[in-house]
Amino acid sequence: MKKIKLLIHGMHCASCASNIEKSLKKTPGIKNAVVSLMTKKGFVECDDSVKDEELQKAVSRAGYKLVGIEGE
Amino acid sequence: MKMYDMKKMSHEEHGMNGHHHDEPVEDTEIKSWKKRTLWSWLFAIPIAILMLSERILGVSLVPENYLVMIFLVLGFPVVFLLGWETIRGGIRGLLTFYFNMDSLISLGTIVAYLTGIFSYFGFMADYSGVSAMIMAFYTTGKYVESIARGRASQEIKKLLELGAKNARILKGKEEIEIPISEIKIGDVMIVKPGEKIPTDGIVLKGASSVDESMITGESMPAEKNPKDKVIGATINQDGILYIKAAKIGKDTFLAHIIKLVEEAQGTKVPIQEMADKITSIFVPSILAIALITFAVWWYLGGDLSRALGIGVAVLVIACPCALGLATPTALMVGSGMGAKNGILIRKGEAIQTMKDVKTVVFDKTGTITKGKPEVREIYTKGKNKNYVLELAASLEKLSEHPIAHAIVQHAKLKRYKQVSGFKIIRGMGIEGTIGRKKIMVGNAALMKEKNISFKEFEEKIEGFENFGYTTMIVSENKDAIGVIGVADAVKDDSIQAVTMLNRDGYKTIMITGDNERTARTIAKEVGISEVIANILPEDKAKKVEELQKNGFVAFVGDGINDAPALKQSNVGIAMGTGTDIAIESGDIVLAKGSLAGVVQAINLSKATFGKIKQNLFWAFAYNTIAIPVAMAGFLHPVIAEIAMALSSITVVTNANLLRMKRI
Repeated sequence: MKKIKLLIHGMHCASCASNIEKSLKKTPGIKNAVVSLMTKKGFVECDDSVKDEELQKAVSRAGYKLVGIEGE
Repeated sequence: MKMYDMKKMSHEEHGMNGHHHDEPVEDTEIKSWKKRTLWSWLFAIPIAILMLSERILGVSLVPENYLVMIFLVLGFPVVFLLGWETIRGGIRGLLTFYFNMDSLISLGTIVAYLTGIFSYFGFMADYSGVSAMIMAFYTTGKYVESIARGRASQEIKKLLELGAKNARILKGKEEIEIPISEIKIGDVMIVKPGEKIPTDGIVLKGASSVDESMITGESMPAEKNPKDKVIGATINQDGILYIKAAKIGKDTFLAHIIKLVEEAQGTKVPIQEMADKITSIFVPSILAIALITFAVWWYLGGDLSRALGIGVAVLVIACPCALGLATPTALMVGSGMGAKNGILIRKGEAIQTMKDVKTVVFDKTGTITKGKPEVREIYTKGKNKNYVLELAASLEKLSEHPIAHAIVQHAKLKRYKQVSGFKIIRGMGIEGTIGRKKIMVGNAALMKEKNISFKEFEEKIEGFENFGYTTMIVSENKDAIGVIGVADAVKDDSIQAVTMLNRDGYKTIMITGDNERTARTIAKEVGISEVIANILPEDKAKKVEELQKNGFVAFVGDGINDAPALKQSNVGIAMGTGTDIAIESGDIVLAKGSLAGVVQAINLSKATFGKIKQNLFWAFAYNTIAIPVAMAGFLHPVIAEIAMALSSITVVTNANLLRMKRI
């Protein structure tokens, strides 16, 4: 289990944040995801096996850009 | 995006070197909306003039058959060039089923624009001018909203920029200037008056007063002398300080605070859940409602143009943003105000829970009192005072307890006696052997357990307790030989804080491992009527659990031995004492270890939650009223769009108004 912080670009509205949350939560291995429109950040709890590329895919699937990843 | 960029970004974040990306991002967002807004109106104002004079005043400024053409030509750049990001995001949302706000706006504007083209073929009336107006108002709304959102996060941004950029360190005999990221633990930093202390450390040489208000909210500067701890990012005022760096990068107090505040934004306030659920199905629902509205109007009214106009109005009036922004913006402003005053909200939930708190339980030592006990009196029978003190101090030297520290400090021995077989008896005292004699220092419970009579000291002990002293009994072999009275002064603002809580109708309780009489004296001094004394540290959580049967309990403790009780309580308020902040245990952490912060934290939580409720009410009310009105055909699409833009601006602005509240 690890905690990851994501920096996301391209969000304009609350639906955007909720879309990214939904997309992240669909990714296998991700236990919890909260996306904040205000700080443009996502907080993800996931298995250690989840790769950066998978997170990036989940964000871009919802139509947004992942510009930074920070692990604990 | 290349992986390279991602790694680079994360590296920068690890560096904590002040190059924070947050601010440029926000600024570019505002700038970009501003540019788009200005350009949009350059095209939209002529459209507006033509539309108003034609449709309302009935004056044709240009011949009828050119009008639609002008609308289409002027509207194209507004909708498809300046609004390209919205259109692209919206269409992608429609295709991938990740619907968002943009999906509604782009569908509304595209449909309206197309009517202009179709009107040439005589199918319907022209809405192409409306299309450009919708996009122009949408862009303007986003521009204003981005400014307001930027304002909402201004305190947090200030916090992020608080760190020093450079440090002057001593290398050999030379002073060299290095970037903050290159400081190592143990480096000696030189800080001149007016400069920021680069990172957390301990004063080696020099004396000065340091302004710590940016971290603790405490407005009085703190005096710093050798051996004192200093916090990075605070400002040295008068003298030159030589400071040994003790914590760097992610371990500094400021880094902890930033992490706390940032993470709080990622927690949810329970009341928001309902709004979030609605937000997540909002856009597809509106798409369906708009389609049905259009179909019904067309079928029943037979007027395709009017049905289309009403459908567009429904699309653009719906505002999931107001719903989604209601809580995060208020939380952002609230936690920013808190951070400025040294109150760090870790969990959004605490804001909501706080309003139901009935009882506030305080730990005694370190919370109500300063946690720095001092020896006030030594009383012996048959033995010399210094002899007793020497034995006690030699033994206590091996303990970490604050009372032990007080006794050692008081004795100020040059040489300590050799101790063997040292043992700590939790919650009671300590024992050990000094020169073949078994020595114990502890409370009455310890003496009773070991069957040591202290009858001849009982009167004195009672006297100590009536003064609020904690009594340590010293025994040699099987005899009590003396008592040491230790007192821990009450913090300056404890009395005021408790008085305010009592006045506001909270039940205040003090919990402590101390004996009943000492505890009562302290409680009386600060105005607490209920005391739970003689509690072992591990039982505090159990007591809190019992109290919870009568309503929500907030527990205030200094976070180190109080962690279980802080977790058990409904709202745990941890005293973040200095740089050794016990972060993980509290829902709210007070950077400044004073009780005034408790009152402020309660007021702030209530005010913030009040704002959240107002915002949610407004957002729900807006959507439940505006959507039916638009469906009924009472709203022109442009008016609908203005209402939509205003509703999210209102929510964000209302959140900003939280600042007016004094906490």
